[in-house]
Amino acid sequence: MDELEAIKVTFFQECEELLADLEGGLLAMEEGAGDLETVNAVFRAVHSIKGGAGAFGLEPLVRFAHVFETLLDAVRSGAVPNTVELAAVLLRASDILADHVSAARGLGDVDMGASAAMAAELETWTDPNASPAAAAPVAVEDAAPAPAPVVDADDAIDDDGLGFVFVPQTISVEAQAADTDLIPANVWTVSIRPKSDLYRKANETALLLRELNRLGPITATLDDSAMPPLEELDPEAAYVTWSVRLETEDDETAIREVFEFVDGDCELEITRGEAPIAAVLTSLLTVAEAPAIVEPPAELAPVEIAALAPVAEITPVAPAAKPAAPAAPTPKATQVEVPGPGQSVIRVDPERIDRLIDLVGELVINQAMLAQRVGEYGIAPSSNLAMGLDELEQLTREIQDSVMAIRAQPVKSVFQRMPRLVREVANMTGKQARLVMDGENTEVDKTVIERLSDPITHMLRNAIDHGLENPEERKAAGKNPEGVVRLAALHRSGRIVIEVSDDGKGINRERVLSIAVKKGLIAPDLQLTDEEIDNLIFLPGFSTADKISDVSGRGVGMDVVKRSVQALGGRISITSRPGQGSTFTLSLPLTLAVLDGMVVDVAGETLVVPLAAIVESLRPKPEEVRPLGPVGSVLAVRDSFVPLIDVGRTLGYRDTSPHPCEGVVLLVEGEDGSRAALVADAIHGQRQVVIKSLEQNYQQVEGVAAATILGDGRVALILDVDATINLRRREGGAPRPTEPTLIAAE
Amino acid sequence: MAAAIALPETLDLKAAAPLKAALLERRGAAITVEADQVRRLGGLCLQVLLAARKAWDLDGQSFSIKGPSEAFVETTRLFGAEGALLSAAIQGAES
Repeated sequence: MDELEAIKVTFFQECEELLADLEGGLLAMEEGAGDLETVNAVFRAVHSIKGGAGAFGLEPLVRFAHVFETLLDAVRSGAVPNTVELAAVLLRASDILADHVSAARGLGDVDMGASAAMAAELETWTDPNASPAAAAPVAVEDAAPAPAPVVDADDAIDDDGLGFVFVPQTISVEAQAADTDLIPANVWTVSIRPKSDLYRKANETALLLRELNRLGPITATLDDSAMPPLEELDPEAAYVTWSVRLETEDDETAIREVFEFVDGDCELEITRGEAPIAAVLTSLLTVAEAPAIVEPPAELAPVEIAALAPVAEITPVAPAAKPAAPAAPTPKATQVEVPGPGQSVIRVDPERIDRLIDLVGELVINQAMLAQRVGEYGIAPSSNLAMGLDELEQLTREIQDSVMAIRAQPVKSVFQRMPRLVREVANMTGKQARLVMDGENTEVDKTVIERLSDPITHMLRNAIDHGLENPEERKAAGKNPEGVVRLAALHRSGRIVIEVSDDGKGINRERVLSIAVKKGLIAPDLQLTDEEIDNLIFLPGFSTADKISDVSGRGVGMDVVKRSVQALGGRISITSRPGQGSTFTLSLPLTLAVLDGMVVDVAGETLVVPLAAIVESLRPKPEEVRPLGPVGSVLAVRDSFVPLIDVGRTLGYRDTSPHPCEGVVLLVEGEDGSRAALVADAIHGQRQVVIKSLEQNYQQVEGVAAATILGDGRVALILDVDATINLRRREGGAPRPTEPTLIAAE
Repeated sequence: MAAAIALPETLDLKAAAPLKAALLERRGAAITVEADQVRRLGGLCLQVLLAARKAWDLDGQSFSIKGPSEAFVETTRLFGAEGALLSAAIQGAES
């Protein structure tokens, strides 16, 4: 990969972050929580994308971003009021901007018609004619192209073949110059004051000057009055400043773009005309601009107009005039768009981390084997060797935790794609949906994160398409026409749980049951609980939509989701309340790499029970065990009964169960909060084990989550607690749960 | 006797401190700065050269740039520093 390509890759990575920031900010604005800082952040995001895109010559992206940015600039200057309606438009624009970024990256296409329509819509918002404060946009400068008046929009539509309505800024500048004849149209004064950081970041004034020279002939005048004598000079500090006279047909935006990459590391003033005029304008501005502001605040507008009026007879936007000329580009210091002092972040090839994690996994196994050998030699626990081994174990564990933490990421990266999905699906289905997200910062291993996106996408689509009612139906049911879809992530029992819930109509159990019978998925006379009926939708070949809808009925049923989740060692379940909505619960291991487990003996086999699932272990007294049904029994634990499950029998190691009092009982809690008592023969102890996937190396085995290698080199199976409970439940050996909490899922 | 100092090809951030040190060492006598190898001249080294020029002027010693490369001349012009660095003191300048 050549250097430019590498920079481009970084740019696109940054784009992703910027788009996420943009969306986050816009969502806040939509909720009416967008203060000036939010608007600024939103503006910066678009501006930075535009800047980077400009450097790589990504024309369509730059053009769209430019129109977008212009409107945002008007919003932050107060020229366009920041309303909830506007935020909705901006959100849709951000979707199109994201499309442009993807297209520039070679991943997909942009609907140019939609893009042009959106650009036109954005310009309508920016259009000062539509705004009562007609003069206000005059203050809006920076990249501001002539805020396209109606006439221009007509002329400009589709003029570039790219589907953009784009009015080049030069027109306005020239037009105004023609009006005034006082300021030469194509002479600019660019004042450059590099900061030391500019050089420290390997940027170079010479390159900036050379870039300017490309726009047109320059004459630079340097000012070294701030430079100390040679002996006191800090060779890495910036002292010299420049005032550059530039003759160019390009507009201020083009000049500004030269400095895109040194934004914040260089004070910049761009003024039209020769230096003296520029100096006047600058001084006028500096008087009013006491605080170190990036942008002239909105109140500044009158000052600027007053200052300029004698020079250029500016009348506030006459619609008939060709381009409604704004004031001459206002000088301003370009300190604004600093993307925040660089947090030091290292980008590392994930493969390197994966390799490291593998190695640490081996180290853990090796350390366990070593400890076991030492144990076999009967070395005293207080001996130096044993103590050294203990320390080694602790260190190994710390290394492991640290390595895993490197790979842990907040689920935000997946969640942030969802608001757009919800908007699109809602539009397509004619429903009104609001997405509420919770727990975006919940961290989970990268291996898991990558595979969360598809199931979440599917569940959300499903929730809107099948779960939520039409606005009319909702109104009729006395609900808010806007449905709420909630997406939440949380840690529970050492796993990550993703919940997708809606406040829609809930599952129509009668219909589900009749469909399942009709399709021959279940026997007609089968008696099912509500929970079991709900879970029928996960059966292969089940689809409730009578008509295949555009959105979720693409032949990919919930069964596919279920299978992909299971392949990850996860589970998916649903609970539903008629008229109140449904909740899909997806649970996955936090990591696919290591696990804290209890090593137990069952019928001569060694098994590992995930520690996170274990509430306590106990030896039951005979009077606590009560028979229930022909073979089942329950255990009385502190005022409640939990089903007793013999792991050995459930997994098929033995046919008859020993009496629970002869063994040890592990009280476990499933993800849905239901409890069960697992019977094992003996407990060996607690150990951290490295998970080796059974699916990858063999195949999925029900009741078994994965395998591991023990210290003595033997393979032990890791028990899937929930699956074991369900297995037993299904076989009917264990009693159906008597407490509502067993079905649980709230 | 005039001391001479040869400028490296690249006069960037990293070159600024060594350049300053090298110049300071030769303070007090006339100096010839050989700029024929220079391919890149950055703002920081430009500052050092400008400060040196002032220092030598102050000392009443001669400070001359010898045989500046095309890149050196072009960049110095771009910087608007030809008056300070290239005017009187050029020896064997190309233009």
